[in-house]
Amino acid sequence: MSIKILTVDDSKTIRLIVAKAFKPFDCMVLEAENGVVGLAVAGREKPDVILLDYTMPVMDGFEVLARLRSNPDLKATPVIMLTAEAGRDTVIKIAQLGVRDYLIKPFKGELLVERVGRVVDLKSRAAAEKKNKRFDDPISLLVVDDKPAIAAQVRAGLTGMPWKVTSAEQPGQAQDSCMENSVDIVLASLSLPNDGAFMLFQNLRGYANTASIPVIGMCVRTAAAEQARAQQTGFAGVITKPIDPTELKTRVCRTLNLETSYKYFQQRDGALALMLPKDFHQGVVQEVSTNLESQLVSTVDAGGDKLIIDLNAVETFSLPVIELALSAIQAASKLSLRFAVVGSETTKSQCRSYEETQSWLFAGSFEQALALLK
Amino acid sequence: MNNQIEQVDQLTQEAVKEVFQSMLSMEVNPEPPSPLAPDPDGQIIGSVGFIGEATGIIYLYASMGFARVITCRMLGIGEAELDSGEMVTDAIGELSNMVVGYVKSRLCNGGLPCILTIPSVVRGQELSIEGSAHLNRRMIGFRNCKYHLLAEVMLKNSIANES
Repeated sequence: MSIKILTVDDSKTIRLIVAKAFKPFDCMVLEAENGVVGLAVAGREKPDVILLDYTMPVMDGFEVLARLRSNPDLKATPVIMLTAEAGRDTVIKIAQLGVRDYLIKPFKGELLVERVGRVVDLKSRAAAEKKNKRFDDPISLLVVDDKPAIAAQVRAGLTGMPWKVTSAEQPGQAQDSCMENSVDIVLASLSLPNDGAFMLFQNLRGYANTASIPVIGMCVRTAAAEQARAQQTGFAGVITKPIDPTELKTRVCRTLNLETSYKYFQQRDGALALMLPKDFHQGVVQEVSTNLESQLVSTVDAGGDKLIIDLNAVETFSLPVIELALSAIQAASKLSLRFAVVGSETTKSQCRSYEETQSWLFAGSFEQALALLK
Repeated sequence: MNNQIEQVDQLTQEAVKEVFQSMLSMEVNPEPPSPLAPDPDGQIIGSVGFIGEATGIIYLYASMGFARVITCRMLGIGEAELDSGEMVTDAIGELSNMVVGYVKSRLCNGGLPCILTIPSVVRGQELSIEGSAHLNRRMIGFRNCKYHLLAEVMLKNSIANES
């Protein structure tokens, strides 16, 4: 969701400068030309941060701030004060008001963005659009580890994927790479010397154009303290070495919110096909579960009335497979969708041995399933 | 009193340079004052006063042509996007506010507390500012290649304070 920034300034020029400064970011800039209007907009829109002019007619910034602080709904809203008066007394007074930060006019747009970026998580519009990327789109991963074997391991694990893996052995090198290149996600070793991964994380958060790059920590399974510290610091997650390619793909997908539903779902001939893959793992369960309801609703919206679960590729008819199929059937039933299952004779006979699955309607192919449900 | 006008003169020079550099990425340098070149669209004057231990007013004079350039640079837009004279007026008012805010802050830090007045802007042909005899006045010229700007400092002198 877009960040809401409210600029309260009697100068249209400043309001335009603010709006322009945040144009490259995924945020909505709301404007108010005085304190009274500013309070009304703040009450209605609940902004994530307020840029407040100090000297204004009608109601000055001091009064606006006092009213914000006395409003239970708005008292926690961070306020950054803008002022053309940089006198010591003014600065002390502003600091005492409990503002998060202040900026002296004149200021450069970059400085404004940097200060706001310290208060809210600014994401570039391009980064926000990355949410719509698919699993099979090109993704840029930066592996930061002083042991080159780890980057090689990640590369090998992602063979066949269109994901680009680059590497850096030092945090400084990684920082430069993130600033200069379009890096989608960073995998940083938590055992880098001098807390390198944590320093890198903080440095990336310090710049608006790298602040939204997610960082996943890497460490050995037994490094519990490092894992806990990474979670507390705000890492997007921790993956343990040796890197399991399946787990890595799942983590990256989840972190970057990559579109994966096309791997499992397909709408055709008035039915939703749910195709479970050969390499069934916990990540599949999560990805299917995340998209299941919206896919079913979309099918019904489009006039469909059937769910066909394709188990042909599944090697082992395990409990997680059964549970996932059952949850899909249950969700489909709520929408009055009929269902059938596509599977081999082996799968069919395995199903007959469980109470929950013995009544499933089986077919040898998608077309046969469609015919059965007519 | 001479010291005070010298101080405000010096601060105004610093302020104009700083504000133009920060907000417009434009370097302007002081030069001896000379009349603004004629502009068929006239002139614009932005002013902000300060009242307190130091009392005075600073005017910024520019041709309308330069004012439009200033506005475009401040807002990062092309001249075709200037929708009305209001944008220019507002930008010159804000520019004046920043310049005088800079001066005021340093006067306050130097033991001369004062407060700012709200900015005012006037536009017209062949504008000039008249002042009473109890004012110390300084005119400062600034130039960036072909663009020319004037700043006028008017400071209430001690005789005026006593009367």
